[in-house]
Amino acid sequence: MTTITADHHGDHAHDHHDADHKPAFFQRWFMSTNHKDIGTLYLIFAIIAGIIGGGISGLMRAELAHPGIQYLHTWAMMMDGPEATLDQAYHLWNVLITAHGLIMVFFMVMPAMIGGFGNWFVPIMIGAPDMAFPRMNNVSFWLLIPAFALLLGSTFVPGGTGNGAGTGWTVYAPLSTSGSAGPAVDMAILSLHIAGASSILGAINFITTILNMRAPGMTLHKMPLFVWSVLVTAFLLLLALPVLAAAITMLLTDRNFGTTFYDAAGGGDPELYQHLFWFFGHPEVYIMILPGFGIVSQIISTFSRKPVFGYLGMAYAMVAIGVVGFVVWAHHMFTTGMSVNVKMYFTAATMVIAVPTGIKIFSWIATIWGGSISFKTPMVWALGFIFLFTVGGVTGVVLANGGVDDVLHDTYYVVAHFHYVLSLGAVFGLFAGFYYWFPKMSGKMYNEFLGHLHFWVFFAGVNLLFFPMHFLGLSGMPRRYPDYPAAFEKWNELASHGYEIMAAGMLIFFINLIWSLAAGKKAVGNPWGEGATTLEWTLPSPPPYHQFETLPVIDDNGHH
Amino acid sequence: MATLPPSPFDRDRRNRRTLVAMATVGLAMLGLGFASVPLYRIFCEQTGFGGTTKRASADVQVQAAVGHTMSIRFDSNVQPGMPWQFYPEHRTDTVTIGRKDMAIFIARNMSDKPVTGTASFNVTPTQAGAYFTKIQCFCFTQQTLQPGQEVRMPVLYFVDPKILQDSDNKDTQQITLSYTFYPVEQDKKPS
Amino acid sequence: MKKVKSLVLAGLLAFAPALGMNGHALAQDNAVAAAPAADNAAAPAESANAAAPAAEAAPAATVAAPPRMKPTEGVGMPKPGEFTLQEQFTSTGHTARWLHDVMLLPLIFAISIFVLILMIYAMWKFRRSANPIPSKTAHNTMIEVIWTVLPVVILLVVAVPSIGLLADQYKPAPKDAVVVKVTGYQWYWGYEYPDNGIPEFVSNMLPEDKAKANGEPYLLAPDNRLVLPAGRPIKLIITGADVIHAFAVPSLWVKMDAVPGRLNEKSFTIDKPGVYYGQCSELCGARHGFMPIAIEALPPAQFDQWVLSQGGKPAGAAAAEKTADAAPAAPAADKKI
Repeated sequence: MTTITADHHGDHAHDHHDADHKPAFFQRWFMSTNHKDIGTLYLIFAIIAGIIGGGISGLMRAELAHPGIQYLHTWAMMMDGPEATLDQAYHLWNVLITAHGLIMVFFMVMPAMIGGFGNWFVPIMIGAPDMAFPRMNNVSFWLLIPAFALLLGSTFVPGGTGNGAGTGWTVYAPLSTSGSAGPAVDMAILSLHIAGASSILGAINFITTILNMRAPGMTLHKMPLFVWSVLVTAFLLLLALPVLAAAITMLLTDRNFGTTFYDAAGGGDPELYQHLFWFFGHPEVYIMILPGFGIVSQIISTFSRKPVFGYLGMAYAMVAIGVVGFVVWAHHMFTTGMSVNVKMYFTAATMVIAVPTGIKIFSWIATIWGGSISFKTPMVWALGFIFLFTVGGVTGVVLANGGVDDVLHDTYYVVAHFHYVLSLGAVFGLFAGFYYWFPKMSGKMYNEFLGHLHFWVFFAGVNLLFFPMHFLGLSGMPRRYPDYPAAFEKWNELASHGYEIMAAGMLIFFINLIWSLAAGKKAVGNPWGEGATTLEWTLPSPPPYHQFETLPVIDDNGHH
Repeated sequence: MATLPPSPFDRDRRNRRTLVAMATVGLAMLGLGFASVPLYRIFCEQTGFGGTTKRASADVQVQAAVGHTMSIRFDSNVQPGMPWQFYPEHRTDTVTIGRKDMAIFIARNMSDKPVTGTASFNVTPTQAGAYFTKIQCFCFTQQTLQPGQEVRMPVLYFVDPKILQDSDNKDTQQITLSYTFYPVEQDKKPS
Repeated sequence: MKKVKSLVLAGLLAFAPALGMNGHALAQDNAVAAAPAADNAAAPAESANAAAPAAEAAPAATVAAPPRMKPTEGVGMPKPGEFTLQEQFTSTGHTARWLHDVMLLPLIFAISIFVLILMIYAMWKFRRSANPIPSKTAHNTMIEVIWTVLPVVILLVVAVPSIGLLADQYKPAPKDAVVVKVTGYQWYWGYEYPDNGIPEFVSNMLPEDKAKANGEPYLLAPDNRLVLPAGRPIKLIITGADVIHAFAVPSLWVKMDAVPGRLNEKSFTIDKPGVYYGQCSELCGARHGFMPIAIEALPPAQFDQWVLSQGGKPAGAAAAEKTADAAPAAPAADKKI
């Protein structure tokens, strides 16, 4: 895409001592102002949260493998004491689905995508020495810790029928207000407030960094697509999260201070909460997937040894997705009793999103077309992403039809759809990015065989896990049910086996991770060869503690 | 078009300016979140969204569309646990579109304690909300009933003749007006 | 406090109907469990609000309720290992199923397969060993225009029947439709027939052994069904008493949220008699998964018989009554005020 003169770093060996001077352990990791260290902290945090969130889904798949209540009652007795009732067990189920959703969204995908990879590579890719506000960056990360602690802690305090917040990640009123007595829901809401504040600070930091800290010659239209994706994501965060903050603040006052924003008794409207939540919630799904788009674009280009096809179209497709994402929210509310015109509008507007999404998918394929493709681990993950995201996307077109959604709403079809775009989309993007940048971040090469094995096992597992859910949804199985009629058993059992295979895939990932960190081959500055054109590959692996003390200059002779 | 590297001082100033601008955007969105409460109400009142009815003053003049009638259904709810009986005097009524009509709802306190209640309302089908105009009603006014006391509460309304021109309502033959009574807890103040 | 109360109430309804507090609650259930028809005579339900112990004595209806209909295996309920939508029994259902099966499903299959084939072909043809020198093409305005415009055209083609389906779904029922008020409670449903004078009765899930004994699917079968006529327009007015529930019956293409403090309406006509099952479809607390719905669609004559057996008035009689009680309601008669 652009030729980069990196001669400032040719003499890197000389100033190695200065650039690589690291503070002492406590100062380095607890008071860090270094974007790479903070990125590492985010990634570690996301892995831990992912293990917890993924473990919870394991509990759910175990319970759902067969009709009847298998383990739930036993778990409830472990959580709530031996006298736990069946109702408390059912409540525990709702706590599990709520925790799984919130953890995966706010504490796994977002920290990994934006906090982890964004922090690590946005400054490097634009040729900046660090983020614009390094201390604020540190605050963003450390806010996540109390937020996560509050969410996990909420499972041990009363939340209505049993312990924990059982409202679903959507926290709909009035179930979350008059329907859930006890402090658990307050704690979960507070957790969202803090996680939201963390993300807003992070978003402001990224916007400022990308707008002001680019190296000379790095114009907006020369930025790598990953940086574009983070820029769009940061704007979505900045515009959407405050609305969520307002919405859940009003939940708190309804719960604790007698206001009636969402209570029809006092002239409020529970539907208002849903409008506000989804005004945030729909951009939120793009917040989770856009950085994945960016990562995949980098990887596809690198391993095809070709510049990204239709660079400007790709960048502005993301902008378009972001903009349209703000005006389609009520397609999550098709069954709330909205009038026919409103439903028609939201059906049409939602379908429009398929157009920029299609541009992205076809541009990726056009990028590999005519390329010289090497199938390194990051590339297979990125290719897997493209196909699975397509599958998740087309079921989105089905769900966009307000009339069809009347039967599919709140069924497993929806569960299948959003897991295809998130669990198979965003998560594939995360793994692709992780393998792609692992040599850069750690200075060690991962094991190529284990990486491929991880891909194939995980690919088989998640498809077996989520594809049958389409059938369950079509034949009417509702979401958020701990037990189901016997007719749904076949696909549920298959899905639970899929989980087992996926879990085996994750085991391979962790083995690879530990093995590579301990005994991986030393990575060179650019292990991917001529296709890797972005600035991070001009630096040694791992990069010096302070990079670009003299800013790199981006030549103007390259074009897309 | 390689520009000169900005001096660190310039960059810090620019960063701070961006920070302030972005923080303002964030705060504005937060404000918008809270402002959505009145905005939503105004929006609903203007468009009849979600089955919100229109209001009119008592001296409003409308041209009755003689020969065009609409069936009106009256529906009543009491929040579970509230010791009131609450029901419409007539389940249904047929009115001439544009002509004012009165419906009576009856509430009775079945308990041996005085109970204060307040009512919310909506109209279905939702697309008819914008044409259902109330002149006088008892919604959101607090009613205290003594033990055993019964009151008759009037609703004065008309169906706006513009409904006849609305293609979305061409098949609408019946409009349902629904009220729900809630006990007033002293710590709940209307927002 | 309120919650505790409804919990207790729900518990009582579910496990101790014998208390007589809601003697009607198991009326239909008993009919199947070989109880005499006389039991049904005492069926007229009292709403939970105005539970009067005198229910047994109230109307002297002598009409026996039609026997509880046996569900047909695989109709109105999910089939084991099913791939597709349930068989539909309303006109909206037919249109919607057609839209899904004939338009959307082939379309999304075609797109997915198309993308897959393109990818596999490109991955094979342009692998490094076969194509060591990559092309430098990064633009082709023509093809970019095509892949922007073509999806727009496809979406427009989909949008036409989709919008038509929406309009169809919102077609209001005529004013002589059978009206049932559906109320979602934590965690059961209440059904009231305001025009037939049948007060609210509640519908709780049948325990596993009872459901099995009835030959009905456990977790789908409630004790009291929502009885409706086949072939007559029906209007459900749906509301929630405590939190948001959703009234959903997949085989009738019905799903509508039951929101406290507001009413939603849903109109449809059931094609033919049968039992159609559904489940609550909006998270409503602990027993969200355990408040099933069953609609028993009877031939019109039998429906009228059922209405009589519940102490209600069938449609014609009710209409006459309506005119009588809403005295000045004669069309365009002069109104007070």
